[in-house]
Parts: sequence; structure tokens; C-alpha cells
Amino acid sequence: MRPRFVAAFALFATLAATPLPASAQQGLTVFAAASLRNALDDVDAAFSKTTGIKVTASYAATSALAKQIEQGAPADIFASADLKWMDYVIAHKLVKPDTRVNLLGNRLVLIAPKASKLDRVAIDKGFDIARLAGDGRIAVADVKAVPAGRYAKDALTALGAWAAAEPKLAQAENVRAALAYVARGETPLGIVYETDAKIDPGVKIVGVFPENSHQPVTYPVAEVAASTNPAAGRYLGFLRSGAAKAIFEKYGFSFLIKPVS
Amino acid sequence: MFTLSAQDWTAVALSLRIAIVATLVSLPFGIVVATLLARKSFPGKPLIEAMIYLPLVLPPVVTGYLLLITLGRHAPVGAFLAEHFGIVVAFRWTGAVISCGVMAFPLMVRAIRLSIEAIDRRLEDAAATLGARPFWSYLTVTLPLALPGVIAGAMLAFARALGEFGATITFVSNIPGETQTISAAIYTLTQVPGGDAAALKLVTVAVIISIGVLMASEWFARRATARLHGV
Amino acid sequence: MLDVTVEKTLGAFAVSASFTGASGATALFGPSGAGKTSVINMIAGLLKPDRGRVALDGDVLFDSAAGIDRPVWRRSIGYVFQEGRLFPHLSVRHNLDYGRWMSGRPADAAQFAHAVDLLDIAPLLDRRPGKLSGGERQRVAVGRALLMRPRLLLLDEPLASLDAARKQDILPYLLRLRDEAKVPMIYVSHDAGEVRRIASRVVRIEGGKVVAAGGAELLGS
Repeated sequence: MRPRFVAAFALFATLAATPLPASAQQGLTVFAAASLRNALDDVDAAFSKTTGIKVTASYAATSALAKQIEQGAPADIFASADLKWMDYVIAHKLVKPDTRVNLLGNRLVLIAPKASKLDRVAIDKGFDIARLAGDGRIAVADVKAVPAGRYAKDALTALGAWAAAEPKLAQAENVRAALAYVARGETPLGIVYETDAKIDPGVKIVGVFPENSHQPVTYPVAEVAASTNPAAGRYLGFLRSGAAKAIFEKYGFSFLIKPVS
Repeated sequence: MFTLSAQDWTAVALSLRIAIVATLVSLPFGIVVATLLARKSFPGKPLIEAMIYLPLVLPPVVTGYLLLITLGRHAPVGAFLAEHFGIVVAFRWTGAVISCGVMAFPLMVRAIRLSIEAIDRRLEDAAATLGARPFWSYLTVTLPLALPGVIAGAMLAFARALGEFGATITFVSNIPGETQTISAAIYTLTQVPGGDAAALKLVTVAVIISIGVLMASEWFARRATARLHGV
Repeated sequence: MLDVTVEKTLGAFAVSASFTGASGATALFGPSGAGKTSVINMIAGLLKPDRGRVALDGDVLFDSAAGIDRPVWRRSIGYVFQEGRLFPHLSVRHNLDYGRWMSGRPADAAQFAHAVDLLDIAPLLDRRPGKLSGGERQRVAVGRALLMRPRLLLLDEPLASLDAARKQDILPYLLRLRDEAKVPMIYVSHDAGEVRRIASRVVRIEGGKVVAAGGAELLGS
């Protein structure tokens, strides 16, 4: 009995002491809005290939990331899905203001599950989203804090549809969670970014929100103030490169600046 | 068939490491606290008991939030530790050890305490008549007899720590390779289009590990009990 | 020489006893519930008297007036419990050795062998208490108390849990103990037959009080 105890304990202790892959220790840590996931993964892979620097990305709702950075999370780069949260972190001196760049643009779309009977819907004033949703709900990101949710609320309000839509909302933790609801058929409708709809074969775009119904969707990026990582500057430079531009545009983002290189 | 991505294996390895360290580190405290609760009365005991069992009933996210506002980098205790000792736990795997340990601690204490309370105190009296001072009779009679409960408590705590999610993601967020445990990885995959297959693979891994731990716990506890009763 | 004067109220029951014991075996004799076990628990230190004094060979172990209360583990008083109370997780050998181990004294093979011999427990040494019969357990319990080199040995109805046949088996060992171990014994029992064989001095206890102290003549009725 005793030798077996010792053996089990030794196994335990070895597992505990096993060094982990050095992923988060060296390299770069990027906190990016959930909607950037697939595109940024490709950009990061390209960056690692050319520079040999490993990039670890943590994707979540912009609001969650901003709060985490405020709490001292060890991020080097912050990529926000709206201007408000970048303003917030700048006001709280959490990023280096002179590194800030408004990098990408996006569009807000209405989506439905692939199998939905809905086809093309005209989205303009008097848009009756409640009728479209029927008994079901409309999946959106949290409307109070998450950029995708805020844009959705602004758009619905501008179109006079907010009051009818509000009780039918299914608010998710971030825009990708909202996307997943629609893809699984849990809700008949959802409001996400055009780039999200494009990467999920389970949904189809049934309408595009007019540009003037909400603030332009803008993705500012910046280096986190507490970061001492020399690779951060290189990374930001790469994000502004032609190579990155190509990847982002492939996924449907609009590239807002002139590429450097 | 059973291939996981490198990131997913990292999540598994990280979860195991965090759960093991959390269990080993909290075990001595668990034994001490369980003994105190089982054997001593002191002013404020009901309050202390309630506080220890609190993580069992509080929403995990609340526990995680409480950890964040005390041990976060800019929080009272966290700032003190960072300034004077250079210790930072927020958003680190060590922070995950703390959140998992805190959530699992009440389970560990309960099991060990029940085990100690079940020990015949007359045996301890006998040890005293044979010249054993209280500390030694505790070490040579009480603890060995409580061993099945200690094992059960440790394994239970390990399983709980392995599956911890709410408090952990609130306190140390979801950083691959550092704080992304199995649960967080599965949660992330549920939001990735086409991630269901990978999520299910991870779920299978998690279930296999948990069942294995629970079965091992039963086996060890039964062997220890038999051994103690002179079989 | 044991000098005991103790008083304790346990709920509705009051114990008040005063007696002295000398070398050899002294019996505390009386019906069940008379308070005999309470008295020896107070001698051992397992129960704290409300008032009184316990002294052994002039060494004061308890004195309520002087505020003395020596802890159990420092009284050097061996105790054979009614149920034996052997440590189930230790072998017989380690049970026997427990007292010496706690004292820090070096091993004394001769003394160990002598006690094992006295009680005929050699074949049991590597067994666990769970594998012993009632009689075997009691003999081991006696050996365990003996091997801690006590100044006084308390035995609380050691034969009570055994059937008549076992009792007859064990009694000779207790007599050997009394004659060869050179340790004064306090033997608690409600069985006159046992007491008559073992003890030369008898202290009768009834209703929590010592009603008489003397020789074997007190055992009648």
C-alpha cells in the first residue's frame, strides 16, 4: 500500500512541476475584441512567421478586456471594437496615447440561421424587427457595455425599432456568443458585424444596417501603458502593413489607414 | 481520431497543474482548519465556519470578483504584495491556483472535519494516559485514523479545482497558456464557429479525468479504511 | 502510596470519595453506576474534580486549593480500559511500544520480552487489533499499560466485556501481573468473585461515596 501511495504522489508532483509551454511568458500578449478573432489569428500567424515572436491573443468583449487591463492584466496590445472604450482607457492612462491608431472599420448586419425562411430585408425607418422575430428573440451582445450591443441599440433606436425590440433581446456576453445563438438556431435573428456573419456558415445576412443609424464601427488599437515589451511597437507596425491589410480585407474589414509598407 | 490542437492540450496540462498545486497547497490548511472546527470551540466560531463554507453557496463569479478586488494588482492586498514582494497573482496561473483552491477548500474541509469528528476520542484519552501530549496524540492517533477522510477531501477538492470556471475567469480571465483552463477553453470554443467538435473532445477529456479521479479517490479511501481497521 | 480525596458533581450525580492505596492491588468495589469509573478517571486526570487532592508517593498531581492540575500525559499512571482501546491502525507490537515511544526512552528489549511473556502475547505481535479476540485484546491492553513503566496501574473492569470462560483464562494473567510487575494496582469491579481473587484491600463505593474501606470481609452481601 505504502509504495503505491508514494508512486501516486510522485506522479502528482511531477505533473505539478511540469513546465508549461512558454507561450504566455515570452512573446506578445494581445487583448482583442471578440469580433477580431479569426482575422487577427491569421495576422498573428503571419507576424510570428516573419519575426519569430509568439503572439498570445485573448479574445473577449471589448468592455471585459478594458476592465481587465484596468485591473492590471498583463496585455501588451489592446484592440477595441469602438472608440468609446479606447477613450476610456486613454482617460485612465492605461494605454500609450501616441501609439493609438484607428485601424479597421466594419458594418452592422442583421443575420438569421442558414435555414431561415427570411431572405432580404430592407432596414430603414419603421423597420418592424419585432414582427420579423415572431415568437423568438433577437441575439445581440450586451447592449450596455459591449460595442456590438451598443451599436445595435443605437441603430434600432435611430430606426424607431428599439421599444419593440428591447423586450425581445437575447443579450450575450460578446458578439461571437450572439453569433453562436443564431448559428445554432436558438434565435431567429441576430445583430452582429458583417465580418462575423462571413465566417460562420451557419448564418446568413438578411440585411445591412444603414451607416447613418449608428456611429461608424471603428477598431482603434494601441499599446498598453504598462507594457515594456519591445515587440509591441513592431507588432503595431505590422498591423499597419500591407500584409495585414490584405488579411483583414479578406475577412471583410475595411482598412482605414494607408498601409505602411 | 482523438487529436486536440496544441492550445487545447495546453489547457488540459494547465488545468491539471493548477488543480494539483491548488490541492497540495490547501491540504495543510484544510487539515488544520478541519481539526480546529472539529475539536475546538472559540469565540466567533459560527462566523468563521460560515466564511469558510461561503464559496460553496456564493455564485462563483462573486467569489472571483471578491478575489479581484482584494488581490488584484491595484487592490489593497494585491498592491501590497506587488510592491513589497514583487508577487502578482492576478491574471497569472498562480491566481488561478488561488481561485480554484478557494472554491475547493470548503469541500476539503467538510470531508476532513467529518472524518476527524468520527474518531473515537476515547482513543485519544488512551494515548494521553500513555504519555502522549495532545500534539503527538493528534499526529500519531487522530490524523492517521482520519486518513480516509483526508484522502477523500483532497480528491474531491482536486476534482472541483479541475472544473472551476466562474471564479477563475472573473479573477484571472482567459489567457491561453496562462489561465485558460479546460473549462475556459471549452467555453471559448462554444463561441467559435465550427468549434463544437473540438469542444466535445475537450469535454470528453475532462469527463475521463474527473471519473478517473473520483474512482481513484474511492479506491484509496477504501484501502486506507481497511488498513486502519487492521485488515 | 496513593492518596485520593475528590469531589465532583456530574449532572444529578455527586461523587465524593476519599481513600488511600498502598502497594499490591486495591479494589474499588461497588454496583454499576456507583461512580467507580469517575473516581479512577479523576486519578488519571481524564476527569477534573470540582474539589480535592490527588497525590502519588507524595507527588501532588491535583490540588484544587493550590491550583495544581497536572495533565494526563505527565502523570505516569497506566490505564487499562474496559474496552481495551487499542489503536486500530497500529500492530500489537506498536501498540505495546506506544508508551515508550512517547516517552522518548530508548528501546528495552528485555522489558518488552518480559511483558510479552507475562501475558503470553508473543504470537500476536505482528497482528492488528482488528484480528484479535476479546481476551487477546485485553491482554495486549494490559501489556501496553505496563510497558509505559507506570507508577500506578488503573484497571477499569478489564474483564467485564468477556464471557465467563474468557474471564477464567485472563484472571491468572492479572494475578501474575499483581505478583510480578511490582506496580501498585487499583482494580475497579462490581464482581465480588474477581475482586476476592485479586485484591487484598477493598474500598466499597456506593452512590458516589466511599462507604467502607478494609479487607476482603467487605465483599460479603
